Amino acid sequence: MSTAQASELAHEHEEAPRASTRVYVEIAVVLTVLTVLEIWAFYVPAVQPILIPLLMVLSGAKFALVVMFYMHLKFDHRAYTAIFGPLLTLGAFIVIALMIILAYFLGAPPTA
Amino acid sequence: MAVAIPQEAVRGRENYLREGGLLSWLITIDHKRIGVLYGLTSLGFMGLAGIEALLMRIQLAQPDNHFLSADVYNQFFTMHGTTMIFLVIMPLGLGFFGNVAMPLQIGARDVAFPRLNALSYWIFLFGALFMYSSFLFGGGPDAGWFGYANLTERFFTPGTRVDFWAIGLIILGFSSILGSLNFFVTIVNMRAPGMTFMRMPIFVWNILVASILVLVAFPPLTVGLIFLVMDRFIGTHFYSTVAGATPILWQHLFWIFGHPEVYILALPAFGIISETIPCFSRKPLFGYAAMAYATALIGFISYGVWGHHMFASGMGPIADAAFSLSTMIIAIPTGIKVYSWVATTWGGDFVKNTSFYYALAFVIQFTIGGLTGVMHAQPAMDLQQNGSYFIVAHFHYVIGGGSLFAFLSGIYYWWPKMTGKMMDERLGKLNFWLICIGFNMTFFPMHILGLGGMPRRVYTYGAGFHWAFWNMFETVGAFVMGVGILVFVIAIIQSLMSAETAVADPWDGRTLEWSIPSPPPIYNFAEIPHVHSKDAFWEMKHGRAQESRQPAAQPEHGAGGHGIHMPAPSLFPILLAAGLALVGIGAIAWLRITFVGVLIVYLAIIGMGFEYGTYGEHPSKERGDDAFPLDSRKVGMWTFIGSESLFFASLIGTYMVYKGRDLVGPTAKEILEIPLTSFSTFVLLMSSLLMVLALAAFERGNIRAGRNWLFGTAGLGCVFLGGQAYEFTKFFREGVTLQHNLFGQTFYTLVGFHGLHVLLGVIWLLTLAFASFKGMVPKKRALAVEFGGLYWHFVDIVWIVIFSLIYLMDKVTGA
Repeated sequence: MSTAQASELAHEHEEAPRASTRVYVEIAVVLTVLTVLEIWAFYVPAVQPILIPLLMVLSGAKFALVVMFYMHLKFDHRAYTAIFGPLLTLGAFIVIALMIILAYFLGAPPTA
Repeated sequence: MAVAIPQEAVRGRENYLREGGLLSWLITIDHKRIGVLYGLTSLGFMGLAGIEALLMRIQLAQPDNHFLSADVYNQFFTMHGTTMIFLVIMPLGLGFFGNVAMPLQIGARDVAFPRLNALSYWIFLFGALFMYSSFLFGGGPDAGWFGYANLTERFFTPGTRVDFWAIGLIILGFSSILGSLNFFVTIVNMRAPGMTFMRMPIFVWNILVASILVLVAFPPLTVGLIFLVMDRFIGTHFYSTVAGATPILWQHLFWIFGHPEVYILALPAFGIISETIPCFSRKPLFGYAAMAYATALIGFISYGVWGHHMFASGMGPIADAAFSLSTMIIAIPTGIKVYSWVATTWGGDFVKNTSFYYALAFVIQFTIGGLTGVMHAQPAMDLQQNGSYFIVAHFHYVIGGGSLFAFLSGIYYWWPKMTGKMMDERLGKLNFWLICIGFNMTFFPMHILGLGGMPRRVYTYGAGFHWAFWNMFETVGAFVMGVGILVFVIAIIQSLMSAETAVADPWDGRTLEWSIPSPPPIYNFAEIPHVHSKDAFWEMKHGRAQESRQPAAQPEHGAGGHGIHMPAPSLFPILLAAGLALVGIGAIAWLRITFVGVLIVYLAIIGMGFEYGTYGEHPSKERGDDAFPLDSRKVGMWTFIGSESLFFASLIGTYMVYKGRDLVGPTAKEILEIPLTSFSTFVLLMSSLLMVLALAAFERGNIRAGRNWLFGTAGLGCVFLGGQAYEFTKFFREGVTLQHNLFGQTFYTLVGFHGLHVLLGVIWLLTLAFASFKGMVPKKRALAVEFGGLYWHFVDIVWIVIFSLIYLMDKVTGA
């Protein structure tokens, strides 16, 4: 196999068929619905007790949809997920660690 | 465009050092030359840091001394630490050794992004010069290399000294992140055929993990420095208790960077020692797999030990216990390494040369530093020693007796490969003994002085403390060490002037760099090697793999009879770096200079972007195999996005920490507008749809449709920015400014930085759209659109988090 053929083959392998225009539009519709749900939950008093976990689930779903379909992680080589995933996890770790450690250090917010 | 080297000329161009004149060094993108530039620059700064250290030692030699004033002493100890860490050890380990040895060890012709490599160096140089130029404008930085808040606030340190330090570090951070991203992609994607991760030289393992650490450690530091610059320039209160904030936030952001940084300094040294000890013991490395796993484990754990620098800050018993435990645990993989080095020497047939001497001294001295480090894992003990000279002794044994000695071992080891010359062994042994004896004379007594109560960072002390003898002893030791360094410099000059040339493989080495001429040709490998085992070159010479020395790929023969294709030199890296330095200068001196700098940066980026479009694409073009079907540019883009995630995580973390702690209103609950932001969110989500449609159109070859979708995406981005401008204006009118309260400063900073990313995305997409008019974005370059798209979607997902976390949740839970 020539170098050019190998390159072509590898390129095809990396860029396996992705989603169609129809799927992209469907994802946009789902993202819109999820956003509407978030805003609805925000304004409806009955949902307030579970608002925070609900918002986390909804925004997490939106985040995952964009990353999987629009950023093509669902279709591309798994190595990209292996690069992005741990770095994202570390980012979440920073947020949580700072919140826990400094909340203990600073005590309860004066206005809480 | 690429430089095509005629195949018949390949054998004739054997020396990367002799190609072109001085100008060729300014525009070089050859990793070996860039490595040499890093090395020369770092050694120059080491000279400066050494002079600062000697002047400090003269000051401390006697009690009640006034050789230096307290002010000058503060400047010297700040810049000695900053220089040694950011301008010497780190660039030597990654920039110098990483460039000189890593690509050769993995059988690559260059790094993944050669121009980015040059850019990293020039940003490093300009950032360093920028920081040191502080001495010309009222004195050097003087708040310590750790820059603890709130000493660094404008109120306590007026003038421009800390400004130079903070902005200089931000500039240097760009260099480190770009360089490490490059190395990461290179190691992941450009290894020779057959070189699996578990066949990589252990030095490459260490460079890989150190590069990852840079990518995850520098974003929090950058955020911390941005807060500091904002406090000093704009009057925010990120580290001031005036508005309800805490200076401890700086310590967290700094040490989240700071402890991985210790391993960023140490890992390249571990890698060097793991090459030199087996080579000069004439044995394979003991426990290769354990060493590789230990390296990875060190990298992983190092991100969770930062709190041991902060036991004295009163984090509380739970945090103290957690950080104490993680610090003790990280000693295990480090211990595995020390064990492996010692076991490798067991029964070895030693080649007792200078490189080996430095390696052995490294093992002993690093172990001493490591053991005193484990002592500090106990909060009770740490509290006794913190702030004393015991700590100074500890970290000098780790970084000086450790990393620096390893680097000297590495220089002696790879010098013949770099220069084609041998170094004189008599001078080598002389500088080893002088430096080793001087080092231990200088730093071992600091344990005694520290336990005796001598505090660090003091410019003098009273005679009644009885610290004078050991201080004088240390000063003598420092000068002995200084003489040793001078002998080392003489040895280098003597070697360069000597006529003795080095053979390709003077040490009977094990790794691929020894299979090519000394010094290497510009293309490194005339034929890319196949790798069948660890110690690939050793196997080729002595083992069963001799039969597999045939090339993996014959160099391509184009219509013009061209052979190896190398990327052409470029002026854009140095231009871009100069533009970035102008941005920093303008921030301190005259804001208009900043705009000129931004313009230069933008034009240079465009120049680089369209200068040479194919280098870095799938490596099979270079290598002739399809084992790693990844595009280096795409790997780089995802790595960059991952690193950016940590930047935003640090901003979001700060917002969450300060949430509800405002001393005055209005706060989030009272002011945030959900309807407007909901609309903006919808707009940004739809822009992502248009972006992905644009990419699909370019991939189909429908350039016109793709361009229209790009304009649509950028247009929606502008609508989003318009909404943000309206929101900011409204808040300003209601009295919420950056200086007003914690909500104001954290909100504007987080949302503002996101907006800045949207703006950059808009500029990026518009540039692509206009470039497509000129046919510069054809179907085969649709990847260029994909990179812009990835960035755009990243901006979108960050907003998804901000919208939920800041707007919706905060409106409910915020004060």
